[in-house]
Amino acid sequence: MCAVRRTFRLYGSFLAQNLKNEMVYRANFVLLVGMDLFFMGINVAFFAILYANVTTIGGWTFHQTLILVGSVGLVREAAYLLFRQGFLELGDYVRTGQFDALLVKPIRPNIHLGFRHVSLTESLGEGLMGLALVGYGFAHVGTGWAAIPLYVLMLGVSLVIYYAFCLAINSAVFWIIKSQELNSIVYTFMETARYPRDIYRGLGKAIFTFVIPISLIATVPASVLAGRLDWGLIALAVIVAVGMMSGATVLWNWSLRHYSSASS
Amino acid sequence: MRKYLTVFRVNWQNSLQYRAPTVIYILGYTLYISVLLFLWTAIYGEGGRMGPYSLSEMMTYYLLQFVINSVVLSYVSWEIIDHIREGFFSHFLVKPINYFAYWFTINLSGKLFETVLILLAAAGIGLVVGPHVAFPSDPRTYATFLVAAGLGLVLAFELEFCIGLIAFWLIQVRVFKYMLQYAVFFFAGTLLPLDLFPRALAEVAARLPFQYLVFVPIQIFLEKRPAPLADFAAAGVWIVAVYLLARWVLARGIVRYEAVGN
Repeated sequence: MCAVRRTFRLYGSFLAQNLKNEMVYRANFVLLVGMDLFFMGINVAFFAILYANVTTIGGWTFHQTLILVGSVGLVREAAYLLFRQGFLELGDYVRTGQFDALLVKPIRPNIHLGFRHVSLTESLGEGLMGLALVGYGFAHVGTGWAAIPLYVLMLGVSLVIYYAFCLAINSAVFWIIKSQELNSIVYTFMETARYPRDIYRGLGKAIFTFVIPISLIATVPASVLAGRLDWGLIALAVIVAVGMMSGATVLWNWSLRHYSSASS
Repeated sequence: MRKYLTVFRVNWQNSLQYRAPTVIYILGYTLYISVLLFLWTAIYGEGGRMGPYSLSEMMTYYLLQFVINSVVLSYVSWEIIDHIREGFFSHFLVKPINYFAYWFTINLSGKLFETVLILLAAAGIGLVVGPHVAFPSDPRTYATFLVAAGLGLVLAFELEFCIGLIAFWLIQVRVFKYMLQYAVFFFAGTLLPLDLFPRALAEVAARLPFQYLVFVPIQIFLEKRPAPLADFAAAGVWIVAVYLLARWVLARGIVRYEAVGN
């Protein structure tokens, strides 16, 4: 319990430090939020055009789909507040040998890596627009307020899956040395998460559940709020989250041994 | 000409040396396209239909978009921006090499390895969705498609070159670059075929040059363009116009250039 409290305290310090940093560059903040709104706008336009031609996709109506799209934004913003930015910088740390510093601190290197550059603003526009979309969709589908706690809980489960995928993919950095392309896979992972799970069939469905679980990330939380609650799906998401997190941790710890501490 | 051949060869060797990033990029894009193919199958399976497109035309559109995205579209602005921002551009002021032609050569040679991979990946996906690919009925269509894609390649490079030159004016150029690039790709038809846009937006798209990068070549392949020659002529006019624009912007940029760094 003491360790958990210490982790929280450390996170608080890192967050405060990074917030101060971000506040210095206000123009950058406005630009980033503007860019996020632009890209989210295009996503919504994409689905609006689809729904001008069809009434449902995989059984999901337009308003239900907005909850799906918004949920991706919320998970992303939460990820930037917890770990995402550090992984984007991992390649530089490994190439320059700065990663050494993470190995000798009294905190797990993957946790330290995530915390050292938590960012509120990097994905804030997407988070806010996500919240608006989820709210708008929720107001139209008529599910009761009672669904919200489970929705938030399942967003947490999705965040665990996202983290596990990010950790597993980035384990390859100790061989490839560059992390930019690895993280473009992680980016695509979230980009493709906004389509409902119901569109997948056969082998594709299995792969997108257990190997590249894009069919769970947004669909499982969104289905709670969209009035499509399915306990079997909830259980599946929890099992995949636990399985992937365990697997990714083992993989990462094994990969750490291949770090060659270049140029230091 | 020989100096450009050397640039071509060196950059081609460079891209072979760093294979892993390209392979990883293609894997990511294959994932994206696979998901879209599932999306269209699901929509048509539910009895839906996207405007004038049959399921196989829709599948073909995205499979071709998958290839065009790597072969035709250009992504060199990133390197051009670094070049200008970090002062490497100074070297070109004193060397007998044309800046536009230099980057065009880099653009072409950087694509070779990626083209091989993307064609393999497309063939792989094609094997799976094979029965759903709408091949042209007239064999001459393949030739017109290749010409259209070739014109698209030149125009795409010119536009990307202009985007890169923004670095002469702005220091924090990353955000603008992404948005401009994406706006170009959006109106080129990478996300959705342009004729599925709402009418007002479709009319705007039909007057912009970006359609010649993706939408028009694919429409030619699907045999939905009545007069490909008129398209070639229009694309040609745009190529000349954007080339003149690029030269003008470059000339203005050189005046602004501060030679930071090196």
